Amino acid sequence: MNRLEVRSISKAFGGIQAVTDFSLDLRQNDIVGIIGPNGAGKTTAFNLISGVYKLDSGKILLEGRDLTGLGQHQITRAGIARTFQNIRLFKGLNVLENVMTAADPYSSYNIFESIFRMGRRKRQEEENREKSMHYLDIVGLKPLAYENPESLPYGLQRKLEIARALATNPKVLLLDEPAAGLNPSEVGEFIGLVKRLHRDFDLSILIIEHRMEVIMELCRWIYVLNFGELLASGTPTDIQNNQEVTEAYIGEEDEECLL
Amino acid sequence: MDLVFSVITFTCITLLGVMGVFVVTGLTGLFSFGQASFMAIGAYVAGVLGIKYHMPFPLAIAAAVLCGLTAGLLVGLPTIKLRRDYISLVTFGFGEAIIAILNNSVSFTGGAMGLSGIPKYTSLWLVVLSAALCIYIVANFKYSKFGRQCLALRSDELAARSMGIDADRVKLTAFLLAAAITSYAGVMYGYYTTYVEPGMFDWGVSAEWIIIVFFGGINSLTGAVVAALTLASLPEILRFASEWRIVIYCVIVLIILNFRPTGIFGEYELFAKHGRTKTSKGA
Repeated sequence: MNRLEVRSISKAFGGIQAVTDFSLDLRQNDIVGIIGPNGAGKTTAFNLISGVYKLDSGKILLEGRDLTGLGQHQITRAGIARTFQNIRLFKGLNVLENVMTAADPYSSYNIFESIFRMGRRKRQEEENREKSMHYLDIVGLKPLAYENPESLPYGLQRKLEIARALATNPKVLLLDEPAAGLNPSEVGEFIGLVKRLHRDFDLSILIIEHRMEVIMELCRWIYVLNFGELLASGTPTDIQNNQEVTEAYIGEEDEECLL
Repeated sequence: MDLVFSVITFTCITLLGVMGVFVVTGLTGLFSFGQASFMAIGAYVAGVLGIKYHMPFPLAIAAAVLCGLTAGLLVGLPTIKLRRDYISLVTFGFGEAIIAILNNSVSFTGGAMGLSGIPKYTSLWLVVLSAALCIYIVANFKYSKFGRQCLALRSDELAARSMGIDADRVKLTAFLLAAAITSYAGVMYGYYTTYVEPGMFDWGVSAEWIIIVFFGGINSLTGAVVAALTLASLPEILRFASEWRIVIYCVIVLIILNFRPTGIFGEYELFAKHGRTKTSKGA
């Protein structure tokens, strides 16, 4: 059984068909990429998988369990975590608290234990703090745990988003353009981080990315979307040599334009 | 001396009201323009029980807080699913509805004439202790998973849901905690003044509390407490300026909006455990 199975999902906004009949398989401990020109429906596909939008049709199965129609928070608790293309960290909480917030749904102490500082609260807060520190350590943000997230450089904010997603204890991690805005050395570092996560956690990763070096280096399999529809899928080598994909990206070769 | 005691008592009662608003508006970002109606519920329920049924004070408190919670549940359940801007409309409507009910059920509440003859059980020490306990409770709330989740929701609801936070439930929890605190404040109020009338709890009171929270800094409990203590006691001390209170508030709000959009204290906390002492630079 595949870790994540997306079965012909579709979504229209008014008259615009954003995603049409898109299917995808993600195996256990797999890294798969989604590429495509701007506006191809990649982020919409992510939003459908993570429950931000309701599906018009189709099905999403996580380890065989049907997630269709569940709320966003229920899908996350079932094991699908994500990061955002435009970084969405929590203002008013420091770096550590941003990560702790993602782990909070696993704390079971109730409101009375909270407002009267009872034992279970203290224990679980301590556990959560340790766990979150561990995730910060993985992405290399531990020394900055008490900083304000807005004061971090862009590359570190991206890493914080990944630490926060890890804190939800996911089986599937959706990364939406995680390397956008990073400089070349940060991109290299990021590729190393994903490889480490892939090795150390039982995690299946789905990446949307425009930077081909990231996709080609990390992904076992690639799906290409264009105008909301699947254009091609295959191994990185297949995709690189695929005529249709090149055309979608840089347009058809026009004989007259060729010198 | 009596004047000083009375100023302290009223200030502490306002502080209780402000704590409720701090939880709902400061931490969770929901504008409740009907918060004072929970105070009305607390004051009237406890007052009627005390006058007509001679119910002992602690029992009257419990009954009033329970009624406040029930009302909170009735308004909260449908409203939390709404968009933020509609929440302020609904709570505003709820507040005005409560006042209309109090005005019209003359046989029970005395209508616009008010309810008089409530026993005077609220003592200076009781309100001071209540205010201190309330600050303790709200501080514990803020620095627990609930407070973090509220702040996360206020900052970015979509991201918060994506991190597995049950937004509706967290909002309802904050709303109910605030309802309980505010109805308790109402009991204190009624049993101190011994006389209540519906006009004392209109939306202007709720708006005043919100102003106090913004004045202090929406994310700062320290700020809310300091602002409540100063803004609530100042007009009493400077009696001659009391007619100008609204004018003074408006000027304060304008000055703050211009120069310190995050309030005097921003995110600063006096007893913050780690870091987070930097005041935010404003939006």
